[in-house]
Amino acid sequence: MTEKRIPHTDLDGLLGRLRERGAVYAPARDDAGDVALTQAPLDDPMVLEYRNFRLSPKAFFLPQSQTLLTFCDGEAHEPSLPDGETFLVGVRPCDAKALLALDKVFLDGDPPDPYYARLRETTTVIALACTRPMSSCFCTSVGGGPGDGAGADVLAVGLEADLLLRAQTPKGEELLSSVADLLADATDDAVKEAEKRVGAAESLIAPVEVDNSAQRLRDGYDSPCWETASQTCLGCGTCSFLCPTCHCFDITDELRGTRGRRVRTWDCCAYPLFTLHGSGHNPRPSPKERWRQRIMHKFRYAVENLDRLFCVGCGRCIRNCPASMDLRTVLRELGA
Amino acid sequence: MSQTQTVQDAATDKGWEPRIATFLCNWCSYAGADLAGVSRIQYPHNIRIIRVPCSGRINPAFLLRALQNGADGVLVSGCHPGDCHYISGNLVARRKFALFKELLQYAGIEPERVQFTWVSASEGGRFAAVVEKVVEEVRKLGPNEKLVKTL
Amino acid sequence: MTPSHEIEARLRETAEELLREKRVDLFLGYEKATLPFRTTPLFLTSPEEVERLAWNPFCTTNLAVYLPRLFKAPASAREAERAPPLPTVAVVLKGCDARSAIALVQERQVPREKLVLVGVACPGMVDVRKAERALGEHEALGAGEDALGNIHVVVEDGREVTLPREEIVADACLECRAPTPSLPDVLVGEPVEGKDPDGARRQTDEFASKTLDDRWAHLQDELSKCIRCNACRQACPMCYCKECLLDQTRPRWVGTSTDMSDVTIYHLVRAFHMAGRCTECGACARACSMGIDTRLLTRKLGQEVEDLYGYRSGESADVLPALSAFDMDDAQDFLTEP
Repeated sequence: MTEKRIPHTDLDGLLGRLRERGAVYAPARDDAGDVALTQAPLDDPMVLEYRNFRLSPKAFFLPQSQTLLTFCDGEAHEPSLPDGETFLVGVRPCDAKALLALDKVFLDGDPPDPYYARLRETTTVIALACTRPMSSCFCTSVGGGPGDGAGADVLAVGLEADLLLRAQTPKGEELLSSVADLLADATDDAVKEAEKRVGAAESLIAPVEVDNSAQRLRDGYDSPCWETASQTCLGCGTCSFLCPTCHCFDITDELRGTRGRRVRTWDCCAYPLFTLHGSGHNPRPSPKERWRQRIMHKFRYAVENLDRLFCVGCGRCIRNCPASMDLRTVLRELGA
Repeated sequence: MSQTQTVQDAATDKGWEPRIATFLCNWCSYAGADLAGVSRIQYPHNIRIIRVPCSGRINPAFLLRALQNGADGVLVSGCHPGDCHYISGNLVARRKFALFKELLQYAGIEPERVQFTWVSASEGGRFAAVVEKVVEEVRKLGPNEKLVKTL
Repeated sequence: MTPSHEIEARLRETAEELLREKRVDLFLGYEKATLPFRTTPLFLTSPEEVERLAWNPFCTTNLAVYLPRLFKAPASAREAERAPPLPTVAVVLKGCDARSAIALVQERQVPREKLVLVGVACPGMVDVRKAERALGEHEALGAGEDALGNIHVVVEDGREVTLPREEIVADACLECRAPTPSLPDVLVGEPVEGKDPDGARRQTDEFASKTLDDRWAHLQDELSKCIRCNACRQACPMCYCKECLLDQTRPRWVGTSTDMSDVTIYHLVRAFHMAGRCTECGACARACSMGIDTRLLTRKLGQEVEDLYGYRSGESADVLPALSAFDMDDAQDFLTEP
């Protein structure tokens, strides 16, 4: 595992080198003052001080609308898959970890999803360790942490004057060696400083009881708490659409005359339409069943079937729910 | 090759011609268009007529859908106030139409793209004149690019 | 302005009394949420739990949104036989929420006799996004209200910050023309005057003065943020249709993609269905996690309806909604004449 460091002042040089290879998305402040992954112009310095992006980076791998094929007069044409490289710089460890969950769904299947596979292949993720977690964060309870590099190709840790860069995958190794002239070797002091910073961030994150969640949820399937917890659910898709691991989709054929396209779009289990049968029957008729499904999927079914939690503790669903629902509350109640 | 395809290709060959989705109520305006036909009144062939039971049946989503699917303009016509076969369908519709037209204009869509009128069963001439005016106005605007969905 | 803690105490008393005397089956109010600047709706059925009820500057949700589902008509005759009797529901309503409740009564989605409208004179509610933005990179750990109604925040490093209420109140609240609920069964708090009742007109006039193409460009720019999550629709009390046109699949009127044509039509359809029905509570804008100005179009339509038909939504339970009514002399200068 290669460990290198780069002074903050040389970061723009690094981004410049990446730009020569492909599209670079780095944190930049938008008009409204939010920091977002932006394909920023060269002269914009990269923002290092931010908590996390409003949108998770999953759209880079599972676009919200994706044309799977086009057709015309009975003939189908597959769209050409993207071949240029993409670099995502500054992704938070929770969001990077979410990619491992998505990989389980889209790569471990038989056959793997070619669209996802291609985007995953051509995209390099450079994560940036968290130093200032929020009160809605609980990554440490779901197997992650502010300095966890799993899912990323390179993990960066911001130090006083440098960034410590740690390759996590062969792709990351290759990347670091390709820009080796810009990098210095990591010193022991730098490694220690990084550990200290990550440790400090870790200590700020309040734990949530998710141990043995699959068993607890199995036992709690008929718990009255689902009814009370779901009463306030408005049935919008904010939680799913902002979630870095939610990946359910719908496929629609859009037709005009004899030409059209088959398009894949994000879908969400909070919508009644998600499970509505052609007969009119709906096996998840009320917010109770739908909200339960969301929690069950993330903390029980995924564990049973794919052997991992489908929650990375980013807290987006908690911060952005229009009715301020908090999934930690229901997890706590079921734990009691 | 499908019919839509033929029409599309024909249009590109001879230069662009506006296509106007035209919603006519069954009782007055459709009969008005029919009268224009049997009276051999000439009017531009750019309209595609869709017959509806009453102008009150028009959901503005129909009009948006037409524009999304490539219509360059939309014309809606019903009975004159007081003449509605269903007594007040057109009067309830009139409020919807007024607001819808205002909404589109406010949103930045050319008001000439979506037009409303009343034509009675005896007004073949008026029908032809309205169509002529609408086609001319839409022709001046050029193709609908704002709401159309490219597939 | 009545202090929040007094209003909170009155609400608890009211809820306790209504539930204990079994005059209502359910009391709908607010409860503190797990994060600052937020409350979550509370469905209260037991008088013992009234201490959970909260009133503070963060009671943003329009609780009227929950009413139609509580009174949903049975889907079939067989279901109707088995259906439990309709509940009686008390609901806490700010000025705007009360208009929504009245509009729902008008549209016969909710029976007036089954409702106890607990109105609260509303000093304007805090917009979470504005508040969080005002703190910059700091994060609030707790937030409350001081004696002047300004927002007192404790941030993560222990520092205390005061945010002037006017600066972080939701846009809809700034423009509100009637913050004190009309027609409540119970009114809590001293009546409040609107802050900038002409603000809405000013904004539409300003937008209308741009050129057609500038308006379109602005709208496209705004809507390009849309992630099609439907939060604006779901948070709206007036969006109660059993099957939304935007959800219909045969035919599918509007595609589900983020193609700008689909997105724009989604928003045009949503706005148009609000014409003469929107009560300007701003729930749609606050629900939007992407910060889209969802009120841009609905605000204009509300004013058009008022100008053309002299009607404002949610002001009286007895009149016919503007788009269900007509007048022989309604303006028709928008028509095409040959």
